[in-house]
Amino acid sequence: MRHNLILRVIAKILIPVIILFALYVQFHGDYGPGGGFQAGVIFSVAFILYALVFGLDTAERVLPVSVLRLLASLGVLIYAGTGFAALLLGGKFLDYNVLAADPVAGQHLGILIIELGVGITVSSVMLIIFFAFAGRGRV
Amino acid sequence: MDFILGHYNYWIVIFLMMIGFYTVVSRGNLIKKIVGLNIFQTSVFLLYISIGNVKEGTTPIVAEGFTQYSNPLPSVLILTAIVVGVATTALGLALVVRIKEAYGSIEEDDIHDQDQSL
Repeated sequence: MRHNLILRVIAKILIPVIILFALYVQFHGDYGPGGGFQAGVIFSVAFILYALVFGLDTAERVLPVSVLRLLASLGVLIYAGTGFAALLLGGKFLDYNVLAADPVAGQHLGILIIELGVGITVSSVMLIIFFAFAGRGRV
Repeated sequence: MDFILGHYNYWIVIFLMMIGFYTVVSRGNLIKKIVGLNIFQTSVFLLYISIGNVKEGTTPIVAEGFTQYSNPLPSVLILTAIVVGVATTALGLALVVRIKEAYGSIEEDDIHDQDQSL
């Protein structure tokens, strides 16, 4: 597919839009439909499209699997870290109320951070699965 | 008659569930089995989400002028189930890839024949 001009041009136009939509879904999750799971999958779709059109090696140069593994654990760390931060601030585990000065702001901050962790983990795990499948049989 | 038409979501769920079940049982191709399993899964998602829907209810988001909203709990449950479904599908496909590498086939009959001839 390396020489398919139409596909390459359309993909270059589509990929930023997909990433932008993923970020919208990610950070709109507290007020509207959205959240980390959906945004993570949409985000990874952008990179899977890139890998399909421009080749697996190019995509792995952009996002190496070692970096993706770190990101996958970073997301879990953000999730658990928020819970322990709430514990240290005097609340219960994952009790967002104590994260900011007043409970409503704390709830907003808490759910945004939690969903960010979920989004990072989901998108990187999706890409790891894709690279693991697509990279098989290629020594 | 109203009893049957009024519960149309159950009929859709049963229809999809039986399609998925039949595909899993009748097809020898392992990829088709996974597709059937996914259709089965989707029917369970639909069952839960359609039960959680409240008549005239909005999406469970705080907004001016809306007091009645659908039950968010089944949706949250199914969000987790969808993620688990993706993981099980990935596991199933990984097993199929290994079977293909070991036997050179993803047809169940071929795999059984090769096992018998050993």
